[in-house]
Amino acid sequence: MSGVGYVAVGAQVVVVVGGAPVLGGWMRQVRARLEGRAGAGVGQPWRDVRKLLRKEAVTPVGTGPAFRLAPLLLVATTAVVAALMPLASTRTPVSGSADLILVVALLALGTVALALAGLDTGTAFGGMGASREMTIAALVEPTILLAVFAVSIPVGSTNLAAIIAGTIHHPARPASPAGLLAVAALAVAVLAEAGRIPVDNPATHLELTMVHEAMVLEYAGPDLALVELGSQMRLAVLLGLLGSLAAPWGTATGGSLPLLGLALVLLVVKTALLGTLLAAAEVFWAKVRLFKVPELLAGSFLLALLAVVASYFLTGEAVR
Amino acid sequence: MNAIGPALAVAAGLGGAGSLAGALAPARVRPLAAGVCTAGLGAAGVVAGAAALGGSRYGVWLPGLLPLAGVRLAVDALSGLFLAVAGAVTVAAAVYGIGYASPGGTHDQPPPGAGPDGASPGGHDMAAASPSGGGHDDGVGGSFGVGHASPGGGGRGDAVGGSFRGHPSRGGGGRRDAGAGSFGVGDASPGGGRGDGAGGSFGGHPSPGGGGHDDGAGGSFGVRDASPGGGGRRDGAGGTYGTAYPGGRPAQGIRSRGAQAVLPLFALALLLVPAAASVSTFLLLWELMALTSLLLVLAEHRERPSVGQAGLWYAVMTQLGFVLLLAGLGLFAARAGGESFADLRAGAAGMSPAVRGTVFVATAAAFTSKAGLAPLHAWLPRAHPEAPSHVSALMSAAMVNLGVYGVLRVGFDLLGGGPAWWWLLLTAAGGLSAVYGILQAAMASDLKRLLAYSTSENMGLVVVGAGAAGLFRAAGDEPLAALALAAALLHVVNHSAFKALLFCAAGSVLRATGLRDLDRLGGLRARMPATAGLFAVGALGAVALPPGNGFVSEWLLLQALVHGFAVPGAATAVVLPLAVAVIALSAGLAAAVFVKALGVGFFARPRSEPAARAAESPPAMLAGMGLLAAGCAVLALAPGLLGGPLARAAAAAGPAGGTSLAGAGLSVRLHHTSASLYPLWVALALVAGVAAAAGLARLPARRGRRRDARLWDCGGGAPTPRMAYTATSFAEPLQRVFDDVLAPEQDVHVTPVRESAYLVRRVRFQRLVPDRIEHRLYLPVLTALSRTAARARHLATGSVHLYLAYGLFGLVTVLAVLVVGW
Amino acid sequence: MTSGAYTQLLDLACGVLLLCAVVVLWQRELAVLVRVLAVQGAALAAIAAVLGVHERRWGLLVVAAGVGVLRAGVLPYLLRRALGARTGGAADPPPPAAYRSPYREDVSEARETRPVVNVAASLVTAALLTLLAYAAARPLVALHPTPATRALPVGLAVVLVGFFVLVARRRAIAQVVGFLTLDNGITATAFLAASGVPPIVELGVSFDVLLAVLVLHVLTTRMRAAFGGTDLDDLRELSDR
Repeated sequence: MSGVGYVAVGAQVVVVVGGAPVLGGWMRQVRARLEGRAGAGVGQPWRDVRKLLRKEAVTPVGTGPAFRLAPLLLVATTAVVAALMPLASTRTPVSGSADLILVVALLALGTVALALAGLDTGTAFGGMGASREMTIAALVEPTILLAVFAVSIPVGSTNLAAIIAGTIHHPARPASPAGLLAVAALAVAVLAEAGRIPVDNPATHLELTMVHEAMVLEYAGPDLALVELGSQMRLAVLLGLLGSLAAPWGTATGGSLPLLGLALVLLVVKTALLGTLLAAAEVFWAKVRLFKVPELLAGSFLLALLAVVASYFLTGEAVR
Repeated sequence: MNAIGPALAVAAGLGGAGSLAGALAPARVRPLAAGVCTAGLGAAGVVAGAAALGGSRYGVWLPGLLPLAGVRLAVDALSGLFLAVAGAVTVAAAVYGIGYASPGGTHDQPPPGAGPDGASPGGHDMAAASPSGGGHDDGVGGSFGVGHASPGGGGRGDAVGGSFRGHPSRGGGGRRDAGAGSFGVGDASPGGGRGDGAGGSFGGHPSPGGGGHDDGAGGSFGVRDASPGGGGRRDGAGGTYGTAYPGGRPAQGIRSRGAQAVLPLFALALLLVPAAASVSTFLLLWELMALTSLLLVLAEHRERPSVGQAGLWYAVMTQLGFVLLLAGLGLFAARAGGESFADLRAGAAGMSPAVRGTVFVATAAAFTSKAGLAPLHAWLPRAHPEAPSHVSALMSAAMVNLGVYGVLRVGFDLLGGGPAWWWLLLTAAGGLSAVYGILQAAMASDLKRLLAYSTSENMGLVVVGAGAAGLFRAAGDEPLAALALAAALLHVVNHSAFKALLFCAAGSVLRATGLRDLDRLGGLRARMPATAGLFAVGALGAVALPPGNGFVSEWLLLQALVHGFAVPGAATAVVLPLAVAVIALSAGLAAAVFVKALGVGFFARPRSEPAARAAESPPAMLAGMGLLAAGCAVLALAPGLLGGPLARAAAAAGPAGGTSLAGAGLSVRLHHTSASLYPLWVALALVAGVAAAAGLARLPARRGRRRDARLWDCGGGAPTPRMAYTATSFAEPLQRVFDDVLAPEQDVHVTPVRESAYLVRRVRFQRLVPDRIEHRLYLPVLTALSRTAARARHLATGSVHLYLAYGLFGLVTVLAVLVVGW
Repeated sequence: MTSGAYTQLLDLACGVLLLCAVVVLWQRELAVLVRVLAVQGAALAAIAAVLGVHERRWGLLVVAAGVGVLRAGVLPYLLRRALGARTGGAADPPPPAAYRSPYREDVSEARETRPVVNVAASLVTAALLTLLAYAAARPLVALHPTPATRALPVGLAVVLVGFFVLVARRRAIAQVVGFLTLDNGITATAFLAASGVPPIVELGVSFDVLLAVLVLHVLTTRMRAAFGGTDLDDLRELSDR
């Protein structure tokens, strides 16, 4: 079992690192097709990363260690999260510490690192992006932790492996009002965390409307490649998280290799499905104004709170 | 015989010796002598605390030392925790203090001149700077004269725009809106305004010409937030916050005989308060602590008038708190029939619920005021910034803890727990100050004030934990209560470590630049790399993110709350989700706050002359901070070491079943659930991840070396430091989001030229974010008081006979009442 | 119907009921509010139907059908008609004050542009109200804990949220929606607590509601004729000062 567990952790990291750009390319392709364009192909983000990695590393004058460390930290935090989360198997050597609060905090660490890098450049746009990103991050935090609270109530633990294993054993749980509300709240929070369209437009070229992109304007070459890879990995991990909380079926709970393989395939399919859904939705949605984002997040906060309350008073499931 | 008694004796002896040395030694060796004694005192405190945490107990009664009741000391695990924390912080602060009081600092720098890479003193810059100085003289603390108008339209306006890295289009927005096209409103605030324009602050820009601004095209005003300046202005103290130290001698006051003599006594009081075991001893030591800290706050009163104001607030509030404490504990002792803590414990059970409730509310109000909890926090953001920095560290990392200690000691131990409403009240106060404190910190642009408000927030979180523990205990779930209490205590320890470090680092910045104003700092990581690194370590602890120590305790606190859903009762069901939300919101805002403090204060490039000329601190200061940073690292990576001691401390406070928390050296594990955390492994995994990512980036690169290049800035290229985001502009979006809560006040003054009302000579924009609780709660009381005082003046006519008549009248009334009423 | 499926369906219906109340606060578009109200009515009917099937009281099914037709069909239809007449614009009388451009008029009539309490704050308030409803309904639930009574706080929360909509929104249509939400909450509470009131009472209440909506319809028409808009704050001008 232990050997398979290690394989599972390694496979998760490899799938996330290797698959994240493909997921990004897939989503862009879906959008392009829905908008009537041909699209650049699914492999384009990988080609971009490869091209950028081959370029010469550039240090803008006046920046310090924080600027250079941030892309590394962004990728590292996301990779650690990918290793921790029971995406493919709930029985891995690290599943004991796959704590949801830790996962959320690690992702926030990546955000903070990038915000510091944005400020470190000393440019107006860097500061602007950092300021906005931290504002949104601060407001997302209550929503996401309350949603965590809601999904942890049925099993009495914030351990992701326990939550997912519990859901697999009680298939009706995600269909209960509490489960639905929690997943809906989490979905809004994921959009905000990943910087997708109602909150931030990753494809924008207008600096004044940027949030995430404004922070990373000064990056070039391999650093930029890491930033791009990091944010794609973030999206993949967050969608994977959402997928495994909403529909955990298929995640391996045992220790056999074929099951693990099946789980990985299902993981890819689920994430791709969510990505398709998100890309399709983005075609129809507009980015909201920065100062409307709190409304969105307040709504999501309310949903999370309702999820908590609903799991108190409906069905008595909280009593276990 | 255990080590506690001798250690406390040594601490007392060293306190006396340090005080004498501070008072009598010649100026040259004074800081060193007093500092060494204080450090030794702190070390003795650590020894005593560690012994107590290890399980030994100690009690002594010295009847001869104090008339009537004598001095009664007792140390258990709960006292031991606070003793050890205070001792550890004292050691570091004393070492730091030796360096802080040593010669050097801003006054040894050459006079302000052309700095190596300071802001170029070009014509435009000067033009912008002069009205800004005017603002400071008015005591508005950061109001800017903004705007350059000239009949003839584009020319001058564009020139102004041009001097700020070419955004004439935004200035042009103002011009067009003004309708006449006759003047251009350029933006002259360093960072604030321009950042705002770029920040796309949509709508609501007041425009001098009365025309409606196009959304997003505005940003023509210098928006600057002199956040707490309102207080300063109202008090008539003038430009208190964010002003440079005139004369730049921050270390002068602390070097004085008085300050050096008082510092060891303050440290001693910090150690002995948790060891007190009778009401009289406790009150005596509490008052000693209050008085010595007040004297230390006032140490630099010659340098800035604001120190006096802060001292006045502190003195009044702390003495009012003392009166409350006296009343509460006096009532308690009277009803319990004895004044030693053992008597109180024995007598508490027999008291009526009303008396118990009164005692709890009175003492809790006093203690939470000392802990800096809203709404009784008003002294804290005043006194902490104005004290010398290592004193701030001691106050913020050791003294406020004692407020929490008092709540725990009286509420849990002496009163033996109570009904749910006590704890609901406490949790509400904690939640309020957690969110309010961190919001005010987010708005603050004064570094030390920011840290002070963050102290208020962290104490709020601790008290939320304590309140939750009380709730769980009232509902009968002792193990969970012990867990929540252990989380609160762990947060006390963590907060002490990182806040002391942060205050010390802020003190280093202050000493090197004479500035506390984040808007004018920046770029310090190049000039003071060690300080910047140490500040980053502290900030990592404060943001409650994984490799930092704050994360561990907040995680534990959240675990306690999340598991509380199993506790029956509507109160817990309603309180717990809200508490989780409050903790999460404060954690999120704390991330923004410390990104601001670190990113704006230390990164980018210097935005003022003093910041550009900063120099690294002397080794003693770095050593003091290094000790604290090492403490942070140990707490962050091996919190499990504290598992046993924390369980013992929680058990000493009351809730039994403290075995729920297990620390196996490196991890934190909760027994009755499956939650566990391995901070060291997380940190190692992060390091491995960073290394792997670095390898990945390095692998296909053609050339190994990195090439330097000019900043791109979207084609603008090499922006000036004045274009960087300042603390104020960084906080602007948050300020808008929490507009309803913060209720900022803003003012626009348009001064036309004498010849025509259409031509604007000067536009002044100012925005203040006042402390709203203070405005609503304190101001009416103060106004009423001064009105009453003014009326009472009629009673004092100057006639001695009248005054004597008052005395006689009073005496007769008292006697008459006694005769009739008895 | 098995007990598990019954509980699940009942909870889902209650969840939708509450969610609709929340969306009423969240959305500004008046047309969306009316649509949400229809969904809420359907959820209410579903609650009655589920209860009826579970307890084999076929009279309740008739009530459910009646509630469904009225709350998910007739009332939203009436509201949509009122809304359509208003935003159609063609028959609009010219605005009385010169500074009100027709463009601005249209926009402000179709949406709740500046609610009395802003949206984010309303949502947070709704969260607190829900918690309050939960805490207040606990003793009732404890009396006789069944799946139906356990969902009682939902009804109470919908009542509170509906009341809050009345307080926090300006437009007359939004007010009507708030009022109907409140009434839906009361009906839901009745169903959940006592498996419904006697059909005759329910029908009487529904008739009252219909009447109230018609009165409000007339009122808004009058208001629009008098003030050119349906901002309830304009009613202040009618007071004698």
